[in-house]
Amino acid sequence: MGRRRKLNRRSRQKLQRGFAILALLALLALIVLVAVLDRRVTQQFEGRRWTLPARVYAQPLELYAGQSLSAARFAQELERLGYIPQTPVDRPGTFRRKGDSVDVYVRGFRFSDETQPAQQLHVGFDGEAIASLAGPDGADVPVFRLDPLLIGSIFPIHGEDRIIVSPAEVPSLLPEALKAVEDRKFDTHHGVNPLAILRAAFVNLRAGQVEQGGSTLTQQLVKSYFLDSRRTLRRKGEEAIMAFILESRFEKADIMNAYINEIYLGQDGRRAVHGFGLASQFYFGKPLAELNLPEVALMVAIVRGPSYYDPRRQPQRALERRNLVLKVLADENVVKRAQAEHAMQAPLGITDNAGRSANYFPAFLDLVRRRLREDYPEEALTETGLTVFSTLDPLLQEKAEIALSDELARQDQGSRKAARGLEGSMVVTTPQTGEVVAVVGGRRASFDGFNRALDMKRPIGSLAKPMVYLAALQSGRYTPASVVMDEPIEYKLESGDVWKPNNYDKKIHGPVTLVRGLTQSYNLATVNLGLDVGLGPVARTYVQLGLDEAPPKYASILLGTAQLNPVEVAQMYNTLANGGFRSPLRAVRAVIDESGKALKAPELEVTEAAPAEAVYALDRMLIEVFERGTARPAKQALPSGLVVAGKTGTSNDYRDSWFAGFSGGHVIVVWMGHDDNATTGLTGTTGALQAWTRLMASISTTSFEPLMPEAVEDRWIDYYSGLETSPYCSGSAVRMPFELGTGLYPDPACPPSTTPEEAALMQPPLPVVPNEDGVTAPADGAPRTGNPP
Amino acid sequence: MLPLSRTFVAIALLASAGCSLQPFQPPPSPTPTKPATHGGSGPVISEPPTVTSTMPSEPVIQGPAPSIPVPRERPKAAPATFSPASKALVSQAQAQRKKGDLPGAAGSLDRALRIEPNNPLLWIEMGRLRMDQRNFAQAESMGRKALSMAVGDNRTQSAAWQLIADSLRARGKNPQAQEALEKAQQLSVE
Repeated sequence: MGRRRKLNRRSRQKLQRGFAILALLALLALIVLVAVLDRRVTQQFEGRRWTLPARVYAQPLELYAGQSLSAARFAQELERLGYIPQTPVDRPGTFRRKGDSVDVYVRGFRFSDETQPAQQLHVGFDGEAIASLAGPDGADVPVFRLDPLLIGSIFPIHGEDRIIVSPAEVPSLLPEALKAVEDRKFDTHHGVNPLAILRAAFVNLRAGQVEQGGSTLTQQLVKSYFLDSRRTLRRKGEEAIMAFILESRFEKADIMNAYINEIYLGQDGRRAVHGFGLASQFYFGKPLAELNLPEVALMVAIVRGPSYYDPRRQPQRALERRNLVLKVLADENVVKRAQAEHAMQAPLGITDNAGRSANYFPAFLDLVRRRLREDYPEEALTETGLTVFSTLDPLLQEKAEIALSDELARQDQGSRKAARGLEGSMVVTTPQTGEVVAVVGGRRASFDGFNRALDMKRPIGSLAKPMVYLAALQSGRYTPASVVMDEPIEYKLESGDVWKPNNYDKKIHGPVTLVRGLTQSYNLATVNLGLDVGLGPVARTYVQLGLDEAPPKYASILLGTAQLNPVEVAQMYNTLANGGFRSPLRAVRAVIDESGKALKAPELEVTEAAPAEAVYALDRMLIEVFERGTARPAKQALPSGLVVAGKTGTSNDYRDSWFAGFSGGHVIVVWMGHDDNATTGLTGTTGALQAWTRLMASISTTSFEPLMPEAVEDRWIDYYSGLETSPYCSGSAVRMPFELGTGLYPDPACPPSTTPEEAALMQPPLPVVPNEDGVTAPADGAPRTGNPP
Repeated sequence: MLPLSRTFVAIALLASAGCSLQPFQPPPSPTPTKPATHGGSGPVISEPPTVTSTMPSEPVIQGPAPSIPVPRERPKAAPATFSPASKALVSQAQAQRKKGDLPGAAGSLDRALRIEPNNPLLWIEMGRLRMDQRNFAQAESMGRKALSMAVGDNRTQSAAWQLIADSLRARGKNPQAQEALEKAQQLSVE
């Protein structure tokens, strides 16, 4: 007996010891697990909590007296920014238009150089321009900028995108509504709500499937952090422990704020929309702080299933759930029942198409991304929350897209079969500051596909001619009045082949002036001129005007075999429009980090790249392209009195239709063609110029009126002979700039001193528009270039 | 018909000139025309209607140009001034420069330049900022840009030359700096 008892006692002790060890081990394991989970969740919460893609803004609208902007246009711009017309104008994001005046409560915004607080502004208009600006106290405001339009983020492929909001930017209704609908005991529980879990379990058991979640907001947050929605028991256990840890370490308010910034709320193509800040922009096109009751209710409704309750795809379902949320809010006394019932009548109020068609400019964003990559590593762009201030002008961008798509649609309807289904691209820059203000990458501008403005290199055709003439003018041996021979040429290539270029009209025009050769885009005259000047100097002008590399020195570059993309062409023509000063094109004005500190961004630069006199003369000849040359058909479609300059380009077999040209305020480059390089049947004139003119005629711009350089004067010459003449004899007199002291031959038939009276006596009257054709090269071998430089 | 015959005349003339590419002066005309100075008593002749629309609007030039080119008196341009908006932004930029906030100042001047890109004073201001940023080459370029926009405006050109002189001196290019400075001084007294 005693032995048995002894044995029992011994085995009991053994057992107890075993249990104790086991319990100790289990406790140890638990401690280790908690420690591990604690580390994970705390790190996630405290450290870099979110990867923040760089946010990209358009340029802000500057308001100042004299700015050309009507009250109606201003109201449109405000609505684009999500401002609500309402009376009274008592909070940021609202405005009221009364005839020729607008009161607006401008939102606060952190610019790269200063933080502008929210403030009220009174803007008076005088027809098409701003007449006055005044603050709330009536004091004059000389200049003011609106908060800029958010045009996108730079997020990794399949990445999360979000806009972080601080508690101050969150309408107080949102956390209350979230608690009422998702987690009623949020303020008191310790991370998990066992009662809610039991209730959910009961409901789910009865239904035979998972219908209800008992997760607290804290648990949802933890789940979202670790991106694992498997509903396994172990997962649930870990989740509960982590929720408990979070609750014990952090304040409720911090957890709520993290939830508001973390939670998944929708999908935009490859972009996952996280957090209420971005979701508010994504669904309503305005900041979270400005959402009203039905809008907040819809956001809370979406939390439960962003794709199931997608208000764009499932509007009815979303509406029903929103109204259910409103009912709960009334039941829980978060809002008054009357308010909730009123809100139930409101439409969903979703912007069209995720703001895609309206404020989505993938080709421009692509340019911004590439320019930023030159200065920043990829992670810095996609993770560290930079704010990027870009040069995009949303209104101009929109007009460029319309001009191109309208022209392509016209070609689709036209008689030329080859010109149907064309693609196109456009780039717009501002000449003095070298900013890219619009980029269209294709026919479907809001489609994030092949970016023709950057990724497509095509022969530029006659867009290359100004480079030949610039080389000639800056050689000092030529003036606009110099004569070159437009006659057949056979050029022996290194390969042994013989190159025999032709004129577009297959005619030979004999001796022609430089101004005529360029404006009529004569190939033979240009080749003869280019060969005389030399291929080296011609190729070097490409670098002068802003390309990184000169094209290879083949004779065919004289006629535009160099392949460039529209942005490169815009860079070169921007230098021509800027009087020979080269400004590297900029798409980014400034970059700031999360704390508001200014980071590296390209600065405005100007470099005197070509002699002002040569560029001035070339520009004046490019104006003549619209007066007498290949762009003349466009003149009537432009506002009368608007002086513009430019050049048509057509590549071999009509594969590419180009136009590059400028006013005083804008450089516009247009390309049209087929992606498979098939013929279009279009010249630069019948294709790209048409889209160019549509845009130039629809924007607010200024005449191209460069100041004449100091050592230069205007003189009248005959367009055909280059002889110095009087303007009164015929329409073929053209005023061209010459350096002081340039020798010119007087026209014996109409010397420069001819007065109007003398001209009137001349018989027979001279034709106003002389016959362009039928001038053939003299058989007796006239000099190739002859008149004085 | 006429262009053709005129072309032949031209060719004949050119052929007699020996198809030279070298610069040459045409023979002086036996009866030199009286050079009409701008703003003088000579009538300012309006352009013929067929070509009025073809020309950029520039200072009206005197009638038929003489065969022998005479240096023209450039019209004096009114000194450049700031618009109220630019003025506000320039003073903001100056305040930012004083505080040492050079990126902020650049931002303010950028804004002003977008509003008035053709105002040479703004380019001079930007050049002054580039001096602070020790980007002397760009300071000079901004000065030259301002010069090209201030034709006939002696006061502004003088300020631009002063900037160019400072930028040259900062790079140790003393003789050129001296030359630029002399231009600045000369223009300031004219």
